[in-house]
Amino acid sequence: MNFALLSMTLPLMTALVLLFIHRRAGSVVIIASLMSLAAALAALYQVHLFGVQQMHLGGWQAPLGIRFQLTPVNSLLLVFTALVHSLVALYANYSRHSITNTTDFWPLALLLHSSLAALWLSADLFNWYVTLELLGLAAVAMVALSGPKAYRPALHYLLLSLAASLSYLLGVALIYGRYGFLDIALLADVTQADATTQAALILMTLGVMLKAAIWPLHLWLPSAHANAPTAVSALLSAVVVKGPFYILWLLWTEVAPVELAQTTGFFLAIAGIAALIWGGWCAIRTPYLKVLVAYSTVAQLGYATLALGLLLYWQQTQLLVALWLFVIAHGLAKVSMFLVAGEMQATLGSKRVTALKGATQTMPVAMFAFSVAGGSIIGLPPSGGFVAKWTLLQLTLASPIHWPWAVGILIGTLASAIYVFRVIVISFNRADPLAPDFSPDRFSHWLAMLPALMAWLMAVVSVQLIQFLGGLP
Amino acid sequence: MIQDWLTTYLPLILVLSSVIPGLIIFSLKESQVGLRTTLNLVGVFTQLVLVGYMLLAVTQGTTFLFSLPFLPAGDLILQADALSLQFISLSSVLWLATTVYAIGYLEGTALRSRFFGYFSLCVSATVGLALSGNLLTFLVFYELLTLATFPLVVHSGTPAALRAGRIYLAYTLGGGAIAMVGVALLHSVSGSPQFVPGGYLSGFLTDHSASLTVAFVLLIVGFGVKAALLPLHGWLPQAMVAPAPVSALLHAVAVVKAGAFGIIRVVYDVFGIEASDQLHLTQGLLWLAAATILYGSIKALKQQEIKKRLAYSTVSQVSYITLGVALLGPIAAIGALVHLVHQGLMKITLFFCAGNFAETLNVHRVNEMNGLGQRMPFTMAAFTIGALGMIGVPPIAGFISKWYLGLGALEVGQDWVVWVFVGSGLLNAAYFLPLVYRGWFAKPPNSWPDNARFSGGTAGWKETHWMLLISTLFTAALALISGIFAGTGWSPLAWAQFIVSQEFSL
Repeated sequence: MNFALLSMTLPLMTALVLLFIHRRAGSVVIIASLMSLAAALAALYQVHLFGVQQMHLGGWQAPLGIRFQLTPVNSLLLVFTALVHSLVALYANYSRHSITNTTDFWPLALLLHSSLAALWLSADLFNWYVTLELLGLAAVAMVALSGPKAYRPALHYLLLSLAASLSYLLGVALIYGRYGFLDIALLADVTQADATTQAALILMTLGVMLKAAIWPLHLWLPSAHANAPTAVSALLSAVVVKGPFYILWLLWTEVAPVELAQTTGFFLAIAGIAALIWGGWCAIRTPYLKVLVAYSTVAQLGYATLALGLLLYWQQTQLLVALWLFVIAHGLAKVSMFLVAGEMQATLGSKRVTALKGATQTMPVAMFAFSVAGGSIIGLPPSGGFVAKWTLLQLTLASPIHWPWAVGILIGTLASAIYVFRVIVISFNRADPLAPDFSPDRFSHWLAMLPALMAWLMAVVSVQLIQFLGGLP
Repeated sequence: MIQDWLTTYLPLILVLSSVIPGLIIFSLKESQVGLRTTLNLVGVFTQLVLVGYMLLAVTQGTTFLFSLPFLPAGDLILQADALSLQFISLSSVLWLATTVYAIGYLEGTALRSRFFGYFSLCVSATVGLALSGNLLTFLVFYELLTLATFPLVVHSGTPAALRAGRIYLAYTLGGGAIAMVGVALLHSVSGSPQFVPGGYLSGFLTDHSASLTVAFVLLIVGFGVKAALLPLHGWLPQAMVAPAPVSALLHAVAVVKAGAFGIIRVVYDVFGIEASDQLHLTQGLLWLAAATILYGSIKALKQQEIKKRLAYSTVSQVSYITLGVALLGPIAAIGALVHLVHQGLMKITLFFCAGNFAETLNVHRVNEMNGLGQRMPFTMAAFTIGALGMIGVPPIAGFISKWYLGLGALEVGQDWVVWVFVGSGLLNAAYFLPLVYRGWFAKPPNSWPDNARFSGGTAGWKETHWMLLISTLFTAALALISGIFAGTGWSPLAWAQFIVSQEFSL
């Protein structure tokens, strides 16, 4: 548990230090993120050895005190978050095209990291509200870093985020009024399917769905993610939207009464399918590369929503494996795709997909990274995306009455194949003669390759991952 | 000790023997021709030696098995049984021929490092496919094959090539996704155990017959895309825009055979003959294959472009394999398995010849072939061997496979299939013989074009680039030899009989 706390507090401490020291902020953040990653790995190993761990802040027991918990799922998410932050920090510091190499980015990135880690570790409704607010504010500020053109999407993001927080807070207040405490383990034993609880759950769900950009509340995501600076887009798509998703998961699996959860599960699953189709369709249609990648996030969150929905609908806890594998595989692949998209956009001076003509010749490594990441997004074997999809398919196909859901998954796969290969095919066009000032940043291309390869390497340890997340009987 | 090590790791090494050169080649500069060629050839010969050793060891009863944990109840398994060696021998021998051909063919063109890199990966995927020990592993390599071949199809980067590439992807990724659902469905019933002659599903017939039937259809559709079964064949004629060595490899081993091989595995080693029979799964496949054979032949007759005609001929000829499998009799099975090899040898020869004609004399269409035999006698001779073999003229390889397929149809009482063979043989003759006739007996044009890349030579040994010529002659000779010496112990036929004796436990 101490390591997990270290992983959470290290970025926060560093952020405070950066208020006083501005020189070499990038290097400091990289070191802090890597140390946080090491601490998270140690925490993961502890969970592997000793199982689930609890901690009561200041020794106060719930319901008075605040409880932190460390489970297989959140220890993995802790590692994942620190990993993504380290990669993005490396990119932001060393890429020539990174516009975030200013002092503003660094403390915000650290704050984001820390609030996410706190979100993973928390286990009560109010603590989540606090972390959600911190997360939202840091994210909005980071979107606005790209300058005046991003102010509009940033403002939209801010207003929606505040509305979502309020809705969530209202739900929390209702729960507190009804039961008198907010710790989810305590709530799990007492919640009943009465009108107050229902209203509270619906309000909280709407809040987190809006923040997690779950269809049909996803409309703010593409413009915010596409207009943010590259490093920020990568962070937002890969990890930030997963935070509220974690709350949604625990809310419905722990807090909500089973009969309510089953109904909600059905609607969530439908929303997941809709996200797959709608997000896929928009990604196929858009002429802009970063918007394509952003819509791909909407679609991919559909898989996670579907897995969560079916988990609740069928009350099959093994599906949590599929759910979190999707989240992690998508996050890794998405970091890579956004870094590549941002690099190419900066190098070619155009936002359009068609500008990538000949990219396999002019920027082979970047294009390869995009393809590798895209392969995992599509779910081609043997990638992390494939393992996640396979786990989901296994339970879907187990009995014939569930087969219609598999059709939804198939459509989602085909849609993702179309939008990924749409980009790749264009890049195989023969290149035009190069402009004299053409200077790609090779280091960033290789850096973008790393998370893409990691998404595929998940398949190598898939058995361990599945076991660790607790899917095997 | 070393023996144990080999029986575990040899399958993996075999796959890596082309992956590693491929990855190194990606990093080479365009100008490093010598190093690239060396790497290519080292990879090819390592693989040939290893395959030779494996063939010898498997006949002596050694089993090769490499496995890695991957998914619950589904490991990644690479193994070498008789069937996989049949396919892998074909692919490594033809890889040799095609590598030599491609080195000559692409001399002086752009982006060769990218081409040969993906070319090696494509071979690795084929080898992996052949060595796959269960359905899950097969699926992995089936998808990797799509990914590795796509850059080869669009290699030239022209709008036509990109269009063909899109069509290719639409078909193969669609098929791959459907195959994935099929594999996942079977996995949910029985897990993914190792392939076993006679199948592993007989215990699930009573409880899960609906799931099994659906899974069979999904798998056949998924693999049928690459095998170019009738409504799913549309990508194959389009993929003609690829460079000649790529078309040759696609049509002879890599892609279409991957589909056919998948169907063989599904029917023989997953469902098994008995289960397929009990579920009445193969009758539909039989009709589909017969229809594809005739349809492909009729379409081929209408094509005026040589490569297009060859492409439709592939559509027709690959379905011979599917048909032989669907007949579910041991003799037909021999025919199917031996046709897998024979069609590969003959078709690669024909595509090499088409490439030689195009690159030497700018001959792309049937009516431009007049008198080619006088200017390019060796290539034309190779073409004739391939064409006559396709028609089924003894003693060329094609005759052997058709003979066994016909006997096999009679054996299981499906006499009408013989008429399909007769009809298709006549159609084959109708679309191949005019080419042979024009080549040898029609009057040549007054002068041959001299603006093609290799048009500098004269009739005889210097009729085209020497690398193009020797690979063509090599494969033509193999097609002839495997027909003439079919009765000996080391022919593809003998090996097919060995496999069938296991599958049908004779």
